[in-house]
Amino acid sequence: MTTTVESPKATVQVSPEVKAIHRRMRRRQQLSRGLTYLVGILISLWVLIPILFITSMALTTPAEVRAYPKGVLPFIPLSTETIKFFLGSRGIVPGLRNSVIVAVITLVLSTLIAAPAGYALSRFVFRGRDAFRLSILAVRAFPIVILSIPLAVVFLRTGIYDNVYSLALMHTALALPTTILVLSSVFSSIPYELEEAAMVFGCSPGQAFRHVVLPLVMPGIAASAIFTFVLSWNEVFAATILTIQNRTLPAQVLVTLNQSSEPYQFAGGFFMMLPALIFIFYIRRYLFNMWGQVSK
Amino acid sequence: MTTASAPKRQKRINWAPYLLILPSLIYLALFFAWPMVQGLILAVREEGALLTVRSEAETDSSVAGQLPRGTQVNILNRQGNPIPPEAVNQGNLLTEIWYKVRGQDAEGQTIEGWTPERRIRVRESDESGAPVSGSVRSILSSSADPLTSIYLEADEGSEVIGKMEARTAVEIIDQATLEVWFQVKGEVANETVEGWVPSRYIRTLGDGAQGRIEEGDTSQFTTRYIQRMVNDRFFWPALRTTLLLIILIIPAQFVLAIIMALVIQADLKGSGIFLYIFAIALGLSDLAVGIVWYSIFTQFGYLNSILQGLGLIDAPLTYLSANTRYWIIIAVWLAEVWRATALVMVIVVAGMQAISREVLEAAEVFGATLWQRVRYIIIPLLRPSLQVALILRTILAFQVFAVVIVLSGGDVMTVLANETYRQYYDLQNFNVAAAYASFILLLSMITSLFYLRAVRTQEEVAA
Amino acid sequence: MADIRIENVTKRFDNFVAVDDISLTIEDQEFVVLLGPSGCGKTTLLRSIAGLGMADEGRISIGGRDVTYLPPRERKISMVFQSYAIFPHMTVYDNVAFGLKMNKFDKNEIDKRVRDASALLHIENMLDRYPSKMSGGQRQRVAVARAIAMRSEVLLMDEPLSNLDALLRLEMRAELKRLLQEIKATTIYVTHDQIEALSMGDRIAVMKEGQILQCDKPETVYDLPSNRFVGGFIGTPPMNFMQGQVQRQNGHVRVRVGDFDVSPTDAMQPLLRSYDGEPILMGIRAENMETLDKPARDALQVEVLVVEPLGSQNLLTVKIGEDLVKVATHPTFRVKPGEDVWLRFPADKIRWLDRDNGKVLYPA
Repeated sequence: MTTTVESPKATVQVSPEVKAIHRRMRRRQQLSRGLTYLVGILISLWVLIPILFITSMALTTPAEVRAYPKGVLPFIPLSTETIKFFLGSRGIVPGLRNSVIVAVITLVLSTLIAAPAGYALSRFVFRGRDAFRLSILAVRAFPIVILSIPLAVVFLRTGIYDNVYSLALMHTALALPTTILVLSSVFSSIPYELEEAAMVFGCSPGQAFRHVVLPLVMPGIAASAIFTFVLSWNEVFAATILTIQNRTLPAQVLVTLNQSSEPYQFAGGFFMMLPALIFIFYIRRYLFNMWGQVSK
Repeated sequence: MTTASAPKRQKRINWAPYLLILPSLIYLALFFAWPMVQGLILAVREEGALLTVRSEAETDSSVAGQLPRGTQVNILNRQGNPIPPEAVNQGNLLTEIWYKVRGQDAEGQTIEGWTPERRIRVRESDESGAPVSGSVRSILSSSADPLTSIYLEADEGSEVIGKMEARTAVEIIDQATLEVWFQVKGEVANETVEGWVPSRYIRTLGDGAQGRIEEGDTSQFTTRYIQRMVNDRFFWPALRTTLLLIILIIPAQFVLAIIMALVIQADLKGSGIFLYIFAIALGLSDLAVGIVWYSIFTQFGYLNSILQGLGLIDAPLTYLSANTRYWIIIAVWLAEVWRATALVMVIVVAGMQAISREVLEAAEVFGATLWQRVRYIIIPLLRPSLQVALILRTILAFQVFAVVIVLSGGDVMTVLANETYRQYYDLQNFNVAAAYASFILLLSMITSLFYLRAVRTQEEVAA
Repeated sequence: MADIRIENVTKRFDNFVAVDDISLTIEDQEFVVLLGPSGCGKTTLLRSIAGLGMADEGRISIGGRDVTYLPPRERKISMVFQSYAIFPHMTVYDNVAFGLKMNKFDKNEIDKRVRDASALLHIENMLDRYPSKMSGGQRQRVAVARAIAMRSEVLLMDEPLSNLDALLRLEMRAELKRLLQEIKATTIYVTHDQIEALSMGDRIAVMKEGQILQCDKPETVYDLPSNRFVGGFIGTPPMNFMQGQVQRQNGHVRVRVGDFDVSPTDAMQPLLRSYDGEPILMGIRAENMETLDKPARDALQVEVLVVEPLGSQNLLTVKIGEDLVKVATHPTFRVKPGEDVWLRFPADKIRWLDRDNGKVLYPA
């Protein structure tokens, strides 16, 4: 059915006026496209330049950090001295370690708890499903500060205050609603028919999950885990309130901010940004799963 | 195969989904709902505000009245009262020990009964330190009965079964620890309350005839912490700055986010790259962002470097100081717009993707300009997304504090979340901190409700 | 032997009865099509047979084995899904081999069967490819290959052609028919496309609102529909229905349609006698009316409203009484809208229907 019919060539003489209009139209289209590019590039610069600043501060010598006026060219001289100075400061290496521990516990715990709930939301129609979904959405809208104070008081009383594990418990509570919603949308992106097909062809429900659903949702779960990691890594308020000796990196940087030098601060800012910069490239496919579905 | 009665099955409830959501429900109840309620309670309830005064020295006797914490009382009398051994080490309670002794009374009879520890001098103890024998102390006061009373029970109210002379040798058979109860008399609101209270709540003053209620046993609703919050000298500045920042930040974010979304949705080559760049800030913490903008606005920072490089200034200007508050506001505004627009952008782009391409093309065919399309097609259709974005953004904006701390040094300019942190961390006022937190919660809810009403979706308007 | 017996099966969703007390027996190696509009319960019935969503009441047995409450994997069936349900993370080979692997077949046996099945469906050269890089038609072939590689005695197909474009559907229809004759499985095939049903099935079960209205050979369902719904659902254009009035004149029953008298066949006479004086429906298919371009004694004169030339026939729309009636004519029959034609109704092609319950009346 691919017999091409030679369409009769337009033999009408195009008048110069029409040609001019066409040209104008085309120019206008190019102009608007160019304008859009320009706006896009301007916004990109607005986003990228501050990152470039802090990165070049972190990757140079402390002397250069203090220098004024600063060179417009970044990374000159390129050096790891500022970073080394920052890492050598008191409480930073333990803070990094605590941050990693808290974030890892948080992502493991929240994924383990959220995955079944996300699966239930995406696969079952049950009484109370909408209520559950709505309350999850509502929970996300509650401020962290209201949780941190009473939890701190409770943790003090029960003797698990100033402890990376109790901080991880708190971060899990913060991450859980988002993780449930994200994982539910990840599960929803796998058609249930695939599971049914697996069951027809000889799988038990458990096997169907393992052979078909799990391999397909793994990237989504990984993205959600990275997201949780960054959330915990970034969290300052609860971390400062719930710990004294065992501070995470942001808590340590915040508390010592007033007594610290600029090289220390800039390197600290750079270190806190690092996971986020890596993370955005890994989760880009899931960006809209994360936040886009909030309005649904 | 028989075709007898086809088996009927009752429709069963499928428990699987409930089992699957159970862990998260439990977790959220424990670490979300419960602390939330606790937080509100902390803000309005004073623990141990009132002390229950009883008519007898018994925990289950009738209530004679209540005295507030801090009341000065006269201590009229004292009495020991049995308490469970696990409560012995609790608080600052006074205890007294009674011994059960056996020995001859003044009449030569061998009796067995209880007497306070202070009446007996212990002579011998076993290897565990428990006294096994001793003698009755002499009573020095001339006015009192020179004999020591022996009671039937370890209670001064019980029957006296005999009296012993001083220096009588006794066997110590048993001992009991008693909590001292005070008979107190105090005034509250011009009313005198008299009765018995456990000593653990009272600090005795001077010679022991006076005391002060240190702690109550009953909590009480109070507006004290809220008053303290409102009267705090940082409260109004914090509230003003918070609201000012929200009013400045939110519109700028939404305009920028919609422009970003339009650029991404324009279907240009490479718009994927734009999306990733615009979304970078999604993963940045407010602390890190505060430091980034500090590096620009600090006295020897990038802004001054560039201005001086361009020859616009001769010497570095100071931006982040008490005299240049507006610069701090501008810096915080820029930092927050820079950081948090990404979130709005992602929500808006997701909402735009749901708008049918044909609707926009139809608008274009009927002659709508870009601005008209945004104003009359895109924004009305984006309402549900915008509503969610507005709520999320505003609630997050109420919680911003690290940016402000970094850029203002913590005290030049303050916001509500910062005050919460300060009350908790620097001043250790947990209740006032909880009051601040509850206030933020209240503001968040009010604005959410406001948005839900103000930014109604078309269906709601039509209804 | 894998006959399928469905006895009094009912399936509800909350208060909605999707399958309402259906009984149906499908013989070994028979090809039965479940046909009906969307929402009629045909897919729900198929899923009950597959074990995906169990029946609330009734029983289902396959080859004499009661499978009503067995999970799908123990029913010894295979299935082709509407959207194919090809596993996107597996190659074509692994997809086709999936069921065999799950049932722990010997490696060589798996390989042999995969190759046989893919040869039957002409996908041998794409066994290493991933489904994301394949067209709809190719995925469809993979789905069918996966189902037949199992060599189950029962094959269930849920609208397997509905996601293909028209041309591909036509091609696959013939190919599927050939294939199914070759593999000799007992097949239940769900579709809403009556042409697919007519052209493929040994028998067609027409469903509506959870019930089977008629289950017969395609030609029977087409020619002798059991009720108004079946006649109106099957055939393009569907069967025409006209209001009529039964009148008895000296022992002979006639039906007045518009201002024209139709006389039923002798076999119908006794049945219609009980409708004396009452309204009745006359059903006739578009191609069963004779169209004349000049008056005839036993023909009804009607005005042509619309003429639709369809290539193989010309379809006329005329008005008889209050009813619009479609009439198929030979493509060479020339007529313009507004002109008159004369219709003749062959008595043996007319079906008479009870107006109240829509049942077609047949002599006992």
